[in-house]
Amino acid sequence: MSESIIASDNSTIDIGACYDKKNGTLDRRIFSDEKIYQQELTRIFGRAWNFICHESQVPDAGNFFTNFIGEDEVIAVRDRVGKVNVLLNSCPHRGNTVCRAELGTTKSFFCSYHGWNFDLDGSLLAVPNEEAFYRNNLDKKQWGLTAAKVETYKGFVFATLDPEAPALLDYLGWVGKLSIDMMMVDGDIQFLDGIQKNRVKCNWKIATDNLYDWYHVKVSHGTGFKLGLVTEESMAPNDQMVILGELGHGIGGPGLTREKQAEFDQRQATGNGEAQWYDLNAKRRIAPEVREMLGPIGSRSFGHPNIFPNLWVTTTRQLCLRIPRGPFETELWWFNYVPVDLSESQRRQSTFVHNHIFGPAGFLEQDDGENWSHSTRGARATQSKTLPVNLSMGLGRDNVISDPSGQSAIETVVNEHGQRWMYQSWQEWMQADSWQALLADHSRPPQGKV
Amino acid sequence: MSTILNLSKQDHITMRFDAEEFLYHEAELLDARRLDEWLDLLTDDIHYWMPIRRTTQAKETHLEFTKPGGVAFFDDDKSVLTMRVQRLSVGRAWAEDPPSRTRHLITNVRVADIDGEELTVHCNFQLYRTRLNSEEDSWTGRRVDILRRINGELKLSKRHIFLDQTVILSQNLSSLF
Repeated sequence: MSESIIASDNSTIDIGACYDKKNGTLDRRIFSDEKIYQQELTRIFGRAWNFICHESQVPDAGNFFTNFIGEDEVIAVRDRVGKVNVLLNSCPHRGNTVCRAELGTTKSFFCSYHGWNFDLDGSLLAVPNEEAFYRNNLDKKQWGLTAAKVETYKGFVFATLDPEAPALLDYLGWVGKLSIDMMMVDGDIQFLDGIQKNRVKCNWKIATDNLYDWYHVKVSHGTGFKLGLVTEESMAPNDQMVILGELGHGIGGPGLTREKQAEFDQRQATGNGEAQWYDLNAKRRIAPEVREMLGPIGSRSFGHPNIFPNLWVTTTRQLCLRIPRGPFETELWWFNYVPVDLSESQRRQSTFVHNHIFGPAGFLEQDDGENWSHSTRGARATQSKTLPVNLSMGLGRDNVISDPSGQSAIETVVNEHGQRWMYQSWQEWMQADSWQALLADHSRPPQGKV
Repeated sequence: MSTILNLSKQDHITMRFDAEEFLYHEAELLDARRLDEWLDLLTDDIHYWMPIRRTTQAKETHLEFTKPGGVAFFDDDKSVLTMRVQRLSVGRAWAEDPPSRTRHLITNVRVADIDGEELTVHCNFQLYRTRLNSEEDSWTGRRVDILRRINGELKLSKRHIFLDQTVILSQNLSSLF
């Protein structure tokens, strides 16, 4: 399945060699080459199940919310039978967008160019002067808005533009499902009005792989603990856990060792012992039904999931989509949610976190952008783009341990296993020319030594 | 609530002069990075807020901004603003190291209301920022400020910032508006 493309600078990029598994290095050109980027749009975003919205954002018939699949604009809209449809926001007549607002309520989508009018399921209701000008020679059934395949998991709406895609649950696998389950530890959730959006001049993958990066935290976000916003220990604790899932999903970051969880359980049972930084998070995991939902390993992970390709689940009741805007620009969208059962003061506390940690003015987030944009620049200039990216941290030094439940994880110190898995998977997505080829030829998460 | 209409023209001019003097002085402190002095211009109960703006249908402009108490870009009290200033001097505040060059242009200043010791002042602004070799950002918008007279001196007790961008077109908002 080796495949080469001629890069924009006429050099050859062998996609199968972009990620060097043996050395844990990466060809920098994947962050800057226009042709690589175009292939990502078709082979990754055009094929994947993309997160679109949460059902609570469009509770009633006619409520809509616009998002993107790669560079394609899509409309998520609840129809009159209660189904959330995801429609390509492009009039089949001339290509114009049929919805210009980013959220709201409508009875139909009326194209502002010639007035073709579409129902909430995308079907073409009417065109002006159908009889007089088209002489009744337009088969309206053939000319609706393109509807993506839509499936939901626990209220999270995903869509794919590839009819060959496997079922959403098969796509998510246990790691993708666990990523969403981790948001449900306090019960049902609702999304809040307002998404912080901003643009960073970086490649989308650099923004994405950063979520696995617990090495940068103390350096990039050093002001966080210097100001006492977060404790130094909680920013990048030595106990780390990485969970790797099929098709590129992963969860990386702090994890409780079995011993620490046992200590925590005892502390909760007896009231004795000194509280630890993770107690607050761990408390949310103590209920038997929560442990049951997350599983023996999942309930010990406090890391960052990424639902491949670009959906980061944070530990702050937020989700961040990294939306590609060309090889050199990414739009970050911060979705915010709270458990339905929160008291007013707890909700205010949660929103304080939503408004002050991440987002462009967030105390941690504002320091990220320049690192990512300048790393992208380093993938662009003549000499620097020929150098590899070094993602070798911990390579060959750890083991994947499986639990009888079927869950498995690497329990170790700060590492780059998550990033390596993301790029190995990226490479397989980029080489496969169909879902069938990808399903036949992708790596299963490693067992044993990694 | 007394209104601006009851003022004599002379009082009105004086009022606007006071407001403009305050806002221009404040802008000068921000651009000169004299942020400790800027903090001294704020009342202890200041509310500094920038909601999120959205593109809506013309019939749904009530949805244009997120609501107070909800998700926002800034929703700060004095302690948070103090931390934003402290941030710059504790080291590793990379967004501002090297420091940005900013220019606050304040225009269309209008005293919209007077209530006891408080002036509600509307203005438009442009905040222009350059960084490093050639990075450039520009934000325009409208501010609704409340200036409160305390012991004869004006202090800022409310700043609501309505930006003209929905998607923030910069890598961060590490400047103060």
